[in-house]
Order: sequence, then C-alpha cells, then structure tokens
Amino acid sequence: MTESADLLVVEELRYAYGDRVAVKSASLTCRRGEILGLLGPNGAGKTTLLSCIAGLLPSFGGKLTFDGQPFWPADDAPSRSRLGLVPQELALYGDMTGAENLQFFARMQGVESAQVAGAVQRGLELAGLVDRASDRVSAYSGGMKRRLNLAVGDLHSPELLLLDEPTTGVDPQSRNHLFECLHALRDRGRTIIYTSHYMEEVQRLCDRIVVVNEGVVIGIGTTAELAEQAGKPGANLEEAFLAMTGRSLRDEA
Amino acid sequence: MNTWSTALIIARKDLSLYRRDRTGLLLGLLLPVVLVAVFGSVMKFAFGGEGGMPRVTLWVADEDGSPESQKFVGALRNVSMISVRPRANQDPATAAALRGKVNDGEAHHALLVGEGFGEALSEAKEPPLVLVRDPGRLMEDRLIGIAMMQAMMSAGDGRSMSWMMGSMMRRNGMSEQGVKRLQASMEAVQSVIGMFAGGSDPELRSETAPAASADNFDMTAMFEGMVPVTKEDVAPPDRPKNLGFQLAQSVSGMCVMMLMFGLMACSSMLLVERDQGTLRRLLVSCAPRHALLLGKFLFCFVVGFLQLIVLFAFGELVFSIGAFRDPLTLLALATTWVAAATSFGILISVWAKSTKQAEGLATLLILVMAALGGCWFPVQMVELPWYGEVITRSTLTFWAMEGFQGMFWHQKPLTDPVMLRAMAVQWGFVVIASFAAVRLWRRRFLGT
Repeated sequence: MTESADLLVVEELRYAYGDRVAVKSASLTCRRGEILGLLGPNGAGKTTLLSCIAGLLPSFGGKLTFDGQPFWPADDAPSRSRLGLVPQELALYGDMTGAENLQFFARMQGVESAQVAGAVQRGLELAGLVDRASDRVSAYSGGMKRRLNLAVGDLHSPELLLLDEPTTGVDPQSRNHLFECLHALRDRGRTIIYTSHYMEEVQRLCDRIVVVNEGVVIGIGTTAELAEQAGKPGANLEEAFLAMTGRSLRDEA
Repeated sequence: MNTWSTALIIARKDLSLYRRDRTGLLLGLLLPVVLVAVFGSVMKFAFGGEGGMPRVTLWVADEDGSPESQKFVGALRNVSMISVRPRANQDPATAAALRGKVNDGEAHHALLVGEGFGEALSEAKEPPLVLVRDPGRLMEDRLIGIAMMQAMMSAGDGRSMSWMMGSMMRRNGMSEQGVKRLQASMEAVQSVIGMFAGGSDPELRSETAPAASADNFDMTAMFEGMVPVTKEDVAPPDRPKNLGFQLAQSVSGMCVMMLMFGLMACSSMLLVERDQGTLRRLLVSCAPRHALLLGKFLFCFVVGFLQLIVLFAFGELVFSIGAFRDPLTLLALATTWVAAATSFGILISVWAKSTKQAEGLATLLILVMAALGGCWFPVQMVELPWYGEVITRSTLTFWAMEGFQGMFWHQKPLTDPVMLRAMAVQWGFVVIASFAAVRLWRRRFLGT
C-alpha cells in the first residue's frame, strides 16, 4: 500500500461550548512532512480546532482521517501516541528539573524504559538545555521553558506535532531557536500544525497556511495563493489576511 | 489618590472576584452556619443533662421487681444526666444479658438491682446493687454515681441518707459503734445543712449567691460515692493499664480527622494540573486516561497511609496506646480508612470547578464529619434522637472511629462483627465514591 500524501484530513468539523459555537465549519488537509500554519484573529477557533484534533474535545461534529483511517484519539490511546501537543501554557512541573520533566513525560508517552534516557538527551539537545538539565524548571527563563515545552511535546517522535501559539512571551533569540528546532523536526519528517496570530512567524515558518475566521476556514494555501484568494495578487500575508478577515476588532473568547 | 481610596478600589475588585465563584462563595458563607448548627445540635444533645452535664446511658436490670426497686429504677429514669435502658416501654433486660453487653463493648455501664433490694431498703440495710462497668470510663462513672445517689434519695424519701452514710463509713473502716453514732446525728446534720443552704440565717443569705436557695441546693452531688454498689469491672485483658477511654478516643479521633486534613491537598490536585496546563498534555499522551485518576488516588493513598502510621507511632511512643498490639488489624483499619478518605478527596477534586470550591467543601465536610463521627468527643456516649443516630452513622468518620476504638479500647480482633461491619461500610463508600468520581471525571475533564 502506498503512503498517502495527506496525513490528516479534517472534514466539516464543528464544535460548540454550550450555546456558543466556536468552530462552525472547518475542513482542511495537512500533508505529510509539512508545517501547516493555522492563522486567525483572537477567538477565531484555532485552539478549539487543535483541541478537537488532539482528542481533548471529543464531542465534535464532522470527521477526522489520519493516514487514511478514521481518527478518534479521545477514545484510543494508540491514536494519541501518533500526536504530540505543545500547549499554549507552559505545561511543565516547576519543582522538577528539566531532565525529570522530560523523563516523566517520556514515560507517559509510552517510550520504552531502555529508550527513555536517549529520548531525554535528545529533548535536552532540542531545547538547548543540556547544561541546565539538573536545574529546576522554576529557575528557567521564559524562553528556556518554552523550548523545554516544545521538547516535551516531541519526546516520543510523534507523526503529527500540534503547536498552540508556542512563542507567546518569548524573546527573539528563543523564538529563533524554536523556529530552527521546528525546521529541524520537519527535516526529520515530522508533520507540524502551528497556530499563531503573528503573520511574520507564520509566513517565515509555514509551508502552507490555513486562515480561520469566526470558526470557519476561509482560505488555505501558500502566501501567494492566499493573496490570490483574497483578490490581492502579490500582496503580503498581512494584507491578504486583513482583506479576508476584515479590519474590525476581535474579542477573545 | 490617597491610601483609603486605593484600598477601597482594591477591596472592591477582590470582592467582585470573590463573588464570581458562586459555589465557592456559598460554601464560604455556609461553612460557619453549618458548623454552628451541627455543633449546637450535638452539644445540646451531649450536654443537655442536668446543669449542662453530659447524658450517660445506663443499662439496668431489675431482678428484684419489688415496689421499692421499681421506684428506684423509676427515679433513675427521672435523673436528667443519665438515660436508662431498656426504656420503660421496652422489654426488661436480664443481668446475664447486660453482663454480655458490657463484655462485648455494646454498653459501658450496667446496673444490676439484685433480689432483696426492696427488703434491704425497708430495713435500712445495704441493698444488693452491682455495677458492671468498663473501668476506663471515669467521667461516666462519676455521673452514674451522682445519678444513683439522687435516685436512692428519691426512692427512699430522704430516709436513705443515714444508712448510706453509715454504709460508706463502714466501708472506710469506721467501727460499728461509730457508725451508729454518726447515723444518729445525721438528721441533725441534715437540718443544719438545710438551714445554712436555705438562707434562714440573714447573715448567710447576704453572702450566698442569689441562686442559692433551699429549693435548688443540691446536697446529693456532694455524695456521689455514697450508694453502696459492688463494682464488677469488665475490661479486655490486653488493654494497657494506663489507657483511659478519653485518651484512646482522643488519639483515634485526632488521627482520623488529621488524616482527612492531610489529604485535603488531593481535593485540588486535578485543578492544579489543569491550571498549569499539564493536564492537557497528560490527556493527549497515550497513557490510559483513567490511569491519571488512579495515579492521583495511589499518590494520596501512600501519603495518607504514611501520615496515619506516623500519627499512631507518635501516639504509641508518647501515650502508650497499644497501637501496634495487633499489627494485622491496624494494617486493615489503616488501609480501609486511608482508602475511604482518599476516595473522599478524589471525589471532591473531580466535582470542584475551582480551588476555592474544593477547599471550601472539603473543610466543611471534614469538620462536620469529625464532629458528628466522634473525633472530637465520643458521640456513642451522647443520647441522640433517631435522626441524630442516622446522621452520625452516615458519616465516614463514625465508622473509622468505630474501627479504631474497637481496636484500641475494646481490643476487638479483626474478625469481630463490629470491626468487619465498620470496614465494610468504609469500603462500600470507597466503591460508591470511586464510581461517582469516574463518572464526574469523564464528564468534567474528558468531555464524554
């Protein structure tokens, strides 16, 4: 059987928090080995969409297909092992050292005991924290925590890595390091979905971009393709984005 | 901006935030109200006896059945500080049955009114009275002594005083001649005391408290040990000699309650994981999702178990309570109680939506259960109405105390029905609470 080019297919995904509809209709395709950017204003439904894909919000409508098979991570642990999540929060234990955090999450991700040490070492290298491995995370700077946050998500070498605004509160050096890490991961064959509302980040990092607005996917493609779709050929991403989503202020959910 | 206006702005902001969490707010306001209601009710029942004394249960078997013995038992029923069992409308008990009750720890005091009581009373002789008792309960002993004195005075129409005094002096080594002289002077003494207490002397009246009068002067309270009664002590042979009931009750009660406080942290553990974002990461991992809940349970269980063992070891070291006399029973009871308390904490942790809610509800329930379950004072000693009995038995702490007191005080083995029942109730709670916790966990944290 030949491997499909599409790793993840999202069809007509819908999700509501009670009466408030967060995602009205989202359809997208994530190709194997690409970095797909999810771009949208605050409250557009990016995190909800990502949470549905990660199995954190199981009662969604629509359909997910992963590697050609129906995908239902909420109820299926092996399905979840194909995913890695880097949440928006610094999801780390401050009283544990960097190495201990990596070790714990490696075990939780089902990394075999004999391979945990190797996974921890790779994680520390990815985060650039080899010399600070024994320090407590609470003593790390914001940028170091962000890098470790990313390394934890990639510990078990998932096929699809989901990143939810991973550069929030990060200095330019750490952001640059994160981007280099993500490119390195992609070069190793990792598929990445990256949510952000920073145009320059998405433009610099992502192979293709999905524009989400008010819970609906309104555009998908490269920057040039999005500019075409917005009726502004040759425009940069920001101009295309504003043309597609309008200039009115958005209130975060 | 001056200090006061700044302070007011900050206070207003904090109040506004405080009232956002309606459930937390309600629990915070409810806590003192519920505690006052619970403690007020328990104290009313506990210390609602004469002069604010606690009411003690006294089992009585009237084997004489004479008018005098019936009058004596009737007088005992009228003493407000004790509750006589069986009740007047229940079948009378036999001496053998009551001895068995004390022996089994179901009763702590039983008074056997022997045959010939009426005859002895009418002849001003020492009546056949046997008090079968658990010797470590000194407080109840004293109250029963006072109650018997009151009843005897009442039943003997006041004439009992002289022979009771004579009997007491005789027991303490006074010669027969001396006893007779003393008895002869008793009536004069009584009238003198009555005169002083009654305030017929104007000089004395001005020095006494306004409440003192001939009607309320209680001379009987001075002579609580006067009723000649043969004491028959029933105590488990292995119980440490220095162990009093109050000490055993306090050590057990504090251990049971403090474990619950120690485990309060487990009521907000999931919320902490959620707030720091690690819960999302754990839920996306390939670990079975229910294992997260089980992991929290295991952590709390281990910590709770260690806490309990340290507490009992301290109790043993300082108070010599015989905690490790029966290690198997201690292990079973400790395991059971820690499992029950942990389930309680986990249930709150999946129910609460905020740390304020979790801590508020946990504090409320722990304090109420501690009071009602007998951690602070022995509820078994308290005469409660039927609904009070139902409420106390509905608390987890009651059954934990039943088990630990069964081991420390009554020295019951693990296989004793009382112990098995106490543990079964707690394990029943563990099962129900775990089931409810998993349901809530699925709904609130997994969204299924």
